[in-house]
Order: sequence, then structure tokens, then C-alpha cells
Amino acid sequence: MNSNTPSTSAGAPGSADSTAPRRNSKRPKYSRFTQQELPACKPILTPKWVISAFLLVSVVFIPIGVVSLFASRDVVEIIDRYETDCIPLDSRNDKVGFIQSRRDKACNRTLTVPKHMKQPIYVYYQLDNFYQNHRRYVKSRSDQQLRNPSNEDDTSSCKPEDTTANGMPIVPCGLIAWSLFNDTYNFTRNNQPVTLNKRDISWKSDRDHKFGKKVYPKNFQNNTLIGGDRLDSSKSLSEQENLIVWMRTAALPTFRKLYGKIEVDLQAGDVINVGLQNNYNTYSFNGKKKLVLSTTSWLGGKNDFLGIAYLVVGGLCFFLAMVFTIIYLVKPRQLGDPSYLSWNRNPGGR
Amino acid sequence: MKRYIYINDDDLAQDLYCDNRISNRKYTIWNFLPKNLWEQFSRFMNQYFLLIACLQLWSLITPVNPASTWGPLIFIFAVSATKEAWDDYNRYLSDKKANEKEVWVVRKGVKKLIQSQDIHVGNIVWLRENDEVPCDLVLLGTADPLGLCFVETAAIDGETDLKTRVIPSACMGIDLELLHKIKGVIECPIPNKDIRRFDANMRLFPPFLDNDVCPLTIKNTLLQSCYLRNTEWACGVSVYTGNETKLGMSRGIAEPKLTAVDAMIDKLTGAIFVFQIVVVIVLGIAGNVWKNTEAKKQWYVEYPNEGPWYELLVIPLRFELLCSIMIPISIKVSLDLVKSLYAKFIDWDDQMVDLETGTRSNATNTAISEDLGQVEYILTDKTGTLTENKMIFKRCCIRGTFYGNENRDALSDVELLDAISTGSTDVIQFLKVMAICNTVVPIQSKTGAISYKALSQDEEALVRAAASLHMVFVNKNGNVLEINFNGLLLRYEVLDILEFTSDRKRMSVVVKCCLSGKIFLLSKGADEAILPHARTGQQTRTFSEAVEQYAQLGLRTLCLAWRELDYDEYQEWSLMFKEANSILVDREWRVAEVCQRLEQNFEILGVAAIEDRLQDGVPETISTLRKAGINFWMLTGDKQSTAIQIALSCNFISPEPKGQLLLINGKTEDEVCRSLERVLLTMRITNTEPKDVAFVVDGWALEISLKHYRKAFTELAILSRTAICCRVTPSQKAQLVELLKSCDYRTLAIGDGGNDVRMIQQADIGVGISGREGLQAARAADYSIGKFRFLTRLILVHGRYSYNRTAFLSQYSFYKSLLICFIQIFFSFISGVSGTSLFNSVSLMAYNVFYTSIPVLASVLDKDLSEKTVMQHPQILFYCQAGRLLNPSTFAGWFGRSLFHAIIVFVITIHSYAFEKSEMEEVSMVALSGCIWLQAFVVALETNSFTILQHLAVWGNLVAFYVINLIVSAIPSTGMYTIMFRLCRQPLYWTTIILITMAGMGPVLALKYFRYTYRSSKINILQQAERLGGPILSLGNIEPQLRSLEKDLSPLSISQPKNRNPVYEPLLSDSPSATRRSIGPGTPFDYFQSQTRLSSSYLRNSKDN
Repeated sequence: MNSNTPSTSAGAPGSADSTAPRRNSKRPKYSRFTQQELPACKPILTPKWVISAFLLVSVVFIPIGVVSLFASRDVVEIIDRYETDCIPLDSRNDKVGFIQSRRDKACNRTLTVPKHMKQPIYVYYQLDNFYQNHRRYVKSRSDQQLRNPSNEDDTSSCKPEDTTANGMPIVPCGLIAWSLFNDTYNFTRNNQPVTLNKRDISWKSDRDHKFGKKVYPKNFQNNTLIGGDRLDSSKSLSEQENLIVWMRTAALPTFRKLYGKIEVDLQAGDVINVGLQNNYNTYSFNGKKKLVLSTTSWLGGKNDFLGIAYLVVGGLCFFLAMVFTIIYLVKPRQLGDPSYLSWNRNPGGR
Repeated sequence: MKRYIYINDDDLAQDLYCDNRISNRKYTIWNFLPKNLWEQFSRFMNQYFLLIACLQLWSLITPVNPASTWGPLIFIFAVSATKEAWDDYNRYLSDKKANEKEVWVVRKGVKKLIQSQDIHVGNIVWLRENDEVPCDLVLLGTADPLGLCFVETAAIDGETDLKTRVIPSACMGIDLELLHKIKGVIECPIPNKDIRRFDANMRLFPPFLDNDVCPLTIKNTLLQSCYLRNTEWACGVSVYTGNETKLGMSRGIAEPKLTAVDAMIDKLTGAIFVFQIVVVIVLGIAGNVWKNTEAKKQWYVEYPNEGPWYELLVIPLRFELLCSIMIPISIKVSLDLVKSLYAKFIDWDDQMVDLETGTRSNATNTAISEDLGQVEYILTDKTGTLTENKMIFKRCCIRGTFYGNENRDALSDVELLDAISTGSTDVIQFLKVMAICNTVVPIQSKTGAISYKALSQDEEALVRAAASLHMVFVNKNGNVLEINFNGLLLRYEVLDILEFTSDRKRMSVVVKCCLSGKIFLLSKGADEAILPHARTGQQTRTFSEAVEQYAQLGLRTLCLAWRELDYDEYQEWSLMFKEANSILVDREWRVAEVCQRLEQNFEILGVAAIEDRLQDGVPETISTLRKAGINFWMLTGDKQSTAIQIALSCNFISPEPKGQLLLINGKTEDEVCRSLERVLLTMRITNTEPKDVAFVVDGWALEISLKHYRKAFTELAILSRTAICCRVTPSQKAQLVELLKSCDYRTLAIGDGGNDVRMIQQADIGVGISGREGLQAARAADYSIGKFRFLTRLILVHGRYSYNRTAFLSQYSFYKSLLICFIQIFFSFISGVSGTSLFNSVSLMAYNVFYTSIPVLASVLDKDLSEKTVMQHPQILFYCQAGRLLNPSTFAGWFGRSLFHAIIVFVITIHSYAFEKSEMEEVSMVALSGCIWLQAFVVALETNSFTILQHLAVWGNLVAFYVINLIVSAIPSTGMYTIMFRLCRQPLYWTTIILITMAGMGPVLALKYFRYTYRSSKINILQQAERLGGPILSLGNIEPQLRSLEKDLSPLSISQPKNRNPVYEPLLSDSPSATRRSIGPGTPFDYFQSQTRLSSSYLRNSKDN
């Protein structure tokens, strides 16, 4: 018997394996991230929270709407649509023919200032139905060429206005520059000329970095087909601000571009005579042309949209808050009531 | 097909077969780029992106810089390619290491040290102890005088115990010096991957002339990657080398599995693609019409009157490019990223660590976590999966005497100990069979303690038990076994081993007593394989009763028997056995037939009962997952009675009257057919009742059903939530998985042994338990876990979260790309339908890659419900199973939301930035900011739980947007120069952005709130309950309520007829007594409460088969 005792225990190690004290050697360090147990805030949409959020939004939005509406209303704006009126009566049947002819395009317009306008008064021209954002148009420019005189041959993106007929590069090349707006305006008040400041109407960053100080127009509007305005080839591009403004293409087919600034106040009732040269062809595509004189507010020009939108959204939020409050009061519902769980009502089925 | 190998012939076989260079590599340096690119481009998404990227190279039509697509595309490709290259490089390194390992090989009669890769077929390789086998060898000699050696085959089959290998009889006794010069020929099959068979012959040439053709089996081989253990040296001739070895042939790259979520995403991608094509066609036509009518008048555009022939195509193609971002290029990257994180979370999970062994759970397949949340069927193995597979000898019955009862094991039964000390011959014979009739190898350590290495857990349990009953198996010296019985050393010489196969269900050894010279046959096996072969005259009734009684207790039973053989009888049989063993074709069958001749006229000794305990938490796991709506099928190779018993004790099926078992059986096609139809009928009737109906089918009936009545069986499979399939083969397991998959069910197969590998690979998700049957299953599986109970967490926590997160992430990815796309489309209406892009290339690229991808990645931390709540209410998994969170209708919601948001952004932007402010760059940046703000709030609104990381990602991203754009705006050469500075100074910008945000989010919030409160889903209710704190306390009360409800219902189902044959076959009855009744063919079952756990069991009519 005794001889067997060691061997009895000898059989044991295998089975002892399972009952051996638990080994935690492979247990790694506990981390909240690896266990997906980072402390978390778990918001839920309680009626109180949602209703007060909507109320808060309406309380904030309605005043903002009122303020921006006032700001917009404070702006004094004179708009004069002239594209039809500036066509002599005899040519009205063939506007395109008139505009493409060499006849005198001068035209006089009279504007009355409705309200006191504080300086600076911005003078814009507004074009309608003009697709500066058309894909063919918007791509047809060469920023390299505009920036640096050594890149003047870089006209590959400018087609079809890249080179002259004999292959000389056009500076500035491309459809945008080629179609530069060329109506001109002169303002007189009581037969006194009103000075129009055409400097600093473009972005400073464009003058400094996009349009080179040493880049001069070359071969511009020399092709058979004349697009828009010509450029003074003795002035560098960074000084040709009307071009710089024009080349900031607009994203919308209706847009205004700054023509100049009037730096005197205009009084209510002042009559302003505008002598304009109606050169630009918008007739072939039935585009409108407008002259706009406008003051500015902290939100920019006259634009009621933002104020109205704020009022509408604020109002809707208020309305929703009210509706939710009423529903909450009329038909209260216990949140998280386990009796809504279908398997608690109907065991076995799902 | 055969190959002939000339042993030790340096000239001949050199070039005939490949050398031993192992290569697991997929690529070489030269073919890497083309092959990898080809593979990547075989996916539709990538082809699409490539097409788009190529189209963008055409400057006439591209709206944006081609870099905006090429950049991300190259990035994505580079990432995948780098990953592949890295994996391949690592494989190359490990191959190189294996190939350059130095081994001793006989070259021209001299032993030389050469690199492993230079081994050729026919070379003689020498190995020392603990060496890795470099290629498949046929043993020629070992240090052991009897030609034995031990190998560890863990690398091949995952079994960690040692296996015995023996040299062929022809090589027996060859002198060590002569082994260098041995010559001969081996005839063996062409390389194959069957690691269990090697049917070959060997013939040696003079001077080792041995006229006999010597048969070779797997027992004579050393396979590649095994280790030589406990043997000083061994040498063998290489038969298969390099990638043609058994291991090399069985290597294969598993096919990638596609999850249901992936399939849904692909479907939605297809739908979006169709939508995109429609948009492109409509806008293309509109664009061409506009061009021909309006644009011709716009002189400043200078449209030429006559364009090239492809002019009509230009505008549609432009729109195609503009809309190409509808299918987000980022979705694949994001999904891959989050999926690998899901997998990491599984690896990291501290609650899924098996504390006993320290095994962590591991996700081998990182791509299918979402499927875990959508599982509908779980097919589980029994042994080692539900049970611990840790065998303990519990009871025995020797010659009609029962040893061991509820209180005591047989090992500590005084009666048995008495019987041993008094020297009862039957008992001693019984112990001898326990100790001898096996293939166990005892290993004596230096301290004198003996440990056993065994192939089967049952054998080990028996040998251990015998040892503790003073019959100690001390030593195995070649063929001689030494047994120490009460200090008395008994020696037996093993003459033959009649191995266990699953067909024979028994194994025997023929031993010669060294003392008396008598020859004995000792056998053990399943009752049906032993009892019918008892000697005439012996009563086997007590034994079959004992078997039944033990089966009731859920114990595994083995019958032990012996017989003395005449010398002549043995001699005669031995010749036949040898002959059968050298047959090349159908050897297994022939051997079985020969064995059968010897294995009869048994003197039955008794029955040993071994317990295989249930794993911890198995019943709870099953009932929780049941509640979650998952159906369970048990597929086991075990016998029906044990399977049903285990099924009862682990909540798999409920005892009567709640549950009902329907049996499909029969020997012939007709019987099976009738039985199947009967069960189907019952199933249809009871389907409406709140009852657990399960069907039981055995391997044979299953075979017939699958072959001839597949349709009926499929219907049964759909109707039945539970099934028990016993006696099924590995391939049947795989067939069942295939059947369920063909009915569009998501299947999960879980198992632990080599026999489960096929089922695991076949299923949508394969889970392996890294258990005692080796790691084979765990290696083949997509997930490996330490214990069955971790399945709950794997499915309910990881699977569910993964599904929810991916559902959000994928739909969100579409939402944000659709948002930007819709804005582009709207813009095209005010830009002459010419295909102008509102956004510049940099913004478009950054929008997809940074601004919108990073916040949503933080959603991998989102948890809609806490883990605890999910565990308490597993029913919530239904939302994932049914795909409620990602389907065409939820997607339509996101689609609508992006349309709405696009309208808001577009309308507000163009109205507040009208007239003098309508500068292109500014408008574009305002719209982009609007999108970024909206998407930040959308992510915030859809996030259920905010951790610090999510706050960082969502709001930090918003800040990063401004920082990045301010930086870009500071660079003069960009188109965006000064834009952002300009905007940030304008009050108008900020008022516009706030307006966009509120107008966009207000309705979304209102709608969400309304649905959340008044049309709340179950998830919402639980969220509310969990977070408001109050009602959660009452949640605990649901369980008892539920039970009482069930109790109320149960009397209803009692009234069902008990024995209405043949339609009804209630296999379970609620009779409280443990007595056996036999009422006709309808077999009643009993259950009784044991002191520890509900141990319901059943009795089977004796001889019902």
C-alpha cells in the first residue's frame, strides 16, 4: 500500500491544473478606453430640455432678426435700370445691332435721392442673367500670368482668348478679362461734378498678390472680336482696379460690382445726373443693367432676407416649443416606462 | 497517382520533385505591384473610383483638380498595398528563417550540415531531440532500440499531447552505421493534405534485402513542423518537401467573409449609383439644351458653333465627375478602420478573459464584427463547448455491483477499495483493462512523479483512476508495459493495437503476459459496440441497465471487456492483420473487418462512467441568447441519450410540459420520411403555441433527410427554434450550416475540436473555443474565446455595438457626401447647367478626408445603451437581427435629411450672399462652413453617449476646420487667399452660419424628439429608463413577472395529448418518479432534481433500436 502513495499523487497534477489558483499573468493593464468605459455623458431628449432649447433659440433669433431687418432698412439704395431706356427709340427693335454699331452710346439718367445718404456711397453696376459662373467662363483665366510678368506665355487655360491670331500671348488672357464691363458713369449734382473715387474699390490682397505690379496689358482686345473694355497698356494690372473687380467672378447670375465710391453725403431730394456710356452688350441674352448707389450697414447692403429668415426661424421655434408644451401637458407620457416594452406585455412573442 | 522515391539516391530524384523551399508568400518583388493592383481593382468600388480618377484627367470635363480624387485614391491604395506588403514581408522572413535552418542530411554517404531548403526528396535527414521536422519524413531509425520516437504535432492539428511514431518493420534492427547507406524505394501517393493517412509501401535494396513489401502508415512518418520529443535522435527519408508537404498542402487562404451589413452597404451603394446616373442623364440633357439655346446667346462664353463629335458627351461627363463624390471614397477607409477597432475591443475585453488559463478572446477576422449582432442561429458543438471536456472517472459497475453514488465517487467508495484489497479477480481484471487498454504514454519526471500523455481524455481519466486505485501504469518501455499493483510489478508485452475509429467505436489491445506467456485481448468501447459481442451465455442485462442509469446522470459510459486468446488463434489472426495493414486501398475498412474477427466472445467486465461537467454559465448563456431571439442547434457526435441529457441540463430544451421533443429516426428512407412528415405536422400545429418544441435527429436520419427530403427538412429547420443533431459527422455539421445559410439566416458556429473546423469555416461567423481538444478550431475560427459563456458578451455587447456603430457610420458617410453633392447640383442650375463646381478642389478633398471623417470615427465609442441594460434586456438585439438600423428606409431618412440640409445651406447662402457679395470664393466657403457646422451637429445629435474623445472629435474638428482654412487663406498662391480672414471678420458670415445651423437642425431635432417621445422604439424606452434612473429600478422586477406569466400560461399546454401515436411523440413527461416505464413506442422520460442542479434526464427504452 505504501508504495502506491507517491504514484497516486503522481496521477494528480493534470487534474490539479484546473483547480490551481487562478493565474492572472496574461491579464493586461486595465484601461477605460480599451474596456470602452470612458466616462460618458448620455443626454436624452427630455421634453423640458427640448422645449427650453426651442424657446431659447426663438428668444435669441427674433431680436437678431429685428436688428438685422432694421440694419437693412437703414441702408439707402437707389437703383436705376437703364438698359432699355438708353437705347434710342428708333433702335429698340434691334438692340443688339445698336450696341454693336459705332453710334454714340451716351445716355443721360436722372436720379433723385430719397433720403439722406451718408458717405461713402458705393456705386455699383448690376448685371442680370450674366453667367460669370459658367464653367467655360470661370476657368478661362491664368492666375500665373496675372501675377508674374515672366509667366506671360502661361495661357493654356485661357482658351479661346489665349493668343492673338499670330500666336502672341494676350495679357491678361481669357474670357473673363476679355469681356470686361465697359459702361462708364459720370455723376453731376446741380451741375457740379461729383467726384467718383475709383481707387481702392478692389481687394487689397488682389492688388498686392494676385495682380502683378510689373504685369502690363499686351495684345489686349487686338483680336477681330472685341469683347469688353480696353485696358491702358501703360498701367500695370495691379492699378487697373476695374479689371481686378471684374475678375473676382460672381457665384450668381445676378451680381453687383463696385464701380466707385462717392465720398460726399447726398441730401434727400438731391437730383443727380448721370452721364453714362452704354457700351456693354447685354442685349443678346436679354440681360438687365442697373446702376446702384447704396450706403452700407454693419451687415452690408440692403438685404432683408437675413432679417426675415431669422424672424421666421425664431417664430417657428417658438411655435414648435408651444406645440410641444401643449402636447406634453395634454398627453403626458412617462419616459422610459418598461411597460412599453412589448416583450414585457407579451412574453414569448416578439 | 503515385510517386516513387529512391532512398538516398543523390543523382536520381534531384530534379523530379521540388526542393524543400517553403514559400507562404503571395507576391514576389516583381509581381507585387501588378498583382496587388489587380486584386484591389477587382472590387467594384475601386474600379469606379479609378474610372472617375481617369476621367478627371481630361481637363475639358473635370470640374475640380484631378488631385482631389487621385490623392485619396492613391492614399487608400497605398495603405492597403503597404499592409499587404508588410504581411508578405513577414511571411518572407519567417519562410527564410525556416528555409535557412541548418539540418543534418546524408549527402554521398556522408552526414553534412545543409540548409533546410536544399533537402530533396529521397534525402536522409537526421534529427535530434527537440528539433523541428523540416519536411515530411518516413522514419528509418531512432535512438530507441525498438524504433519508437515521440512527436508533438501541435503545429498540425493543435493537439498538445505526444504521439508515438515507430520505424517500419523493414528497418528494424539496422545498424546505426549502416543507416547512412540504406537504399530502397518508397511507393507513396502524390502529395495530399490528409494528415491522418499515409498509405505507402517501402522496399529496401540489397544489402538490406527484405523481400517483403513493408507497409507504411502515418505512424511511420514525421510530418513537417512537428517536434521530436523524448527521443535522442531519429532519422528518416524525406518524401514530401517544400510546399508539397502535408502541412503545405493544407495551407490555404480562407475566403473572405462578407457581412450582412457589407452586403447592405453594397446594395445602397448600387442604389446611389443608379440615382447618380439618373441625375447625370437629366442634368446632361438639361445642360446640352441650355447650351444650345441660352449659351449661344451668351457671347462672353464664346461657344464655338461647331464642336467636336463628342460634344454632346462633355456635359454629362462633367456632371458624372461632379456627382462622383456621391459614393464616398472615404467609406471604405473609415469602415476598415473602425472594424479593426471593433476587433481590438474584443481582444482587449477584460471580461472575456478565461481566468483559469489566462486566455484572452481574440478576433482573428477583423471584418465581420457587425455580423455578430445579427446572428439568428447558433450551431454549437457539445463536448468541450457546452461541457468542459475534463473527464473524471465517477462511477463503475463491475459484475453487477454498482460502485459510487451521489455522495461519493467510485474512487472513494469503500466497497470498491475493499474489493481491491481482498483481491477480487473481476475487479482486478477491470482495473487492468483500465490501465492497459489504451495508448497513453506515462512520463516519469526526475522526482518520480508520473504524468500521462494521452490522445483521448477518456483514456487519461481511466488510467488516472486506475492509478488511484493502486493499479499504477508506471512505465512503457517499447512494447512492454509495466504496471505496479500494490507493489507488485506486472509486465505485459503489447503485441497489437486495434485502434479506435469512430465506426468501430471501440479499441482493443492484444497483450502477452510476460509472466505466464498467455495472450489476452483487452477491449473497451461504447456499449453498442461491446455488449452485442459478449460471449454466449453471459448476461448483459445488468450492464445495459448500468449504461442507461449512468446516461441518465449525464455520464459518458465505456464498457470494458477481455478475452484470453489461443496462441494459434492469435498467430493466424496476426498474419491477416499484417496483411490488412499493408493494403493500399481501403485499408481502414479491411483492418476493421479483421479486427472484428478477433473482437468477439467478450467476457464483459463492467461499465465505467466518466463525467464531463457543464461549463460555467452555460444554461444562463443559452437562456439569455434565446431571449435575444437567437435559435440554438446542437450538433454533436455523441449519442442521443447523452446529447438530450446535456441539452436538458443546460436549458437547451425545456422539460415537459413546456417543452416537447420530436424525434426523427428510422433506418430506411421510408421510415425517415414518415417520421419527418410526422414531426413537421406536429411542428406546424404547435407553432402557434407558446411552447418550446425541438426536434432530435441522428446522423443516419439526417443523411437521408438531407439527401432525399431536403425541402421538408428545410421547412422543419425554419419552423424549429431548437434542434439536436446527434451522431453527426463533421461534414454533416457543415451541411447543416449550409442549409441554414441557404434560408438566408445568419449563422454562428461554435466548437472546440478538429471535427468542428468545417462547420466553423462554413458558417457566417465561426467561433472557436480555445479548449482542451487543441487549438484547431480556434485557429480556423473568426473569433476564439476561452469559455462558452463569453458568447453572450461577444454577441450582445460587441456584436450589437459594432452593428449600431457601422450602421450609423455608413449612412452618415453617404449623408455627408450626398449633402455636398446636392449643393453642387443646385449650384449647377444657377450656373447655366454647365457643370461648374461651387467648391474648390482642396475643400472637396479635405471635406471628405478630414472634416467629415474624423468626427464620425469617434462614433466607435458610442453606446446607445449601457452593457448592463443590454444584458438585462437581450430582446433588444432584435433591432440588430432584423437590420432595423440600416436598411433602405433608414437610408431614405438620411437621404431626405441630406436633401433638406442641402436646400437649407444653398438657399440661405445664395440669398444672404447676394448681389455685391456674390463673390465665388466667398460663397463657396460660406456654403462649405454651413455644411461643416450642420454635420458637426448631426453627429452630435446622433451620438448617444459623449465621452471626452467624442467631444474632442466633433468640436475639435469644427475648430480644426477654421484653423486649416485660416492657414490656407494665409498662403498667397491659393485661390482662397484671405477669404477666411475676410469672412471671419464679417458679422454677416456668422449670422448666416448660425441661421443655417438652426434652420437645418431645428426640424431634425423636432422630428427626432417627437419620435423619441411619442413613437419611441424599444431602444429609446430603455435609454430613457436607463438615464432617468427612476424606472430602471423596476426593471429588475420584470423577470419574476415574466416567470409568473409563464407559469400562468403553462397549465394551458398541459392538456396536450400524452401519447397520441403516431403524430405525437412526447419524449419528455413530467412524471416525478425515476422509475422506468415502457409504454409502447412513445418513450417517456423522467426528470428528477439532483441536489446541485436540475438534472433532468430521460430513460430510453432498452433495445429500442
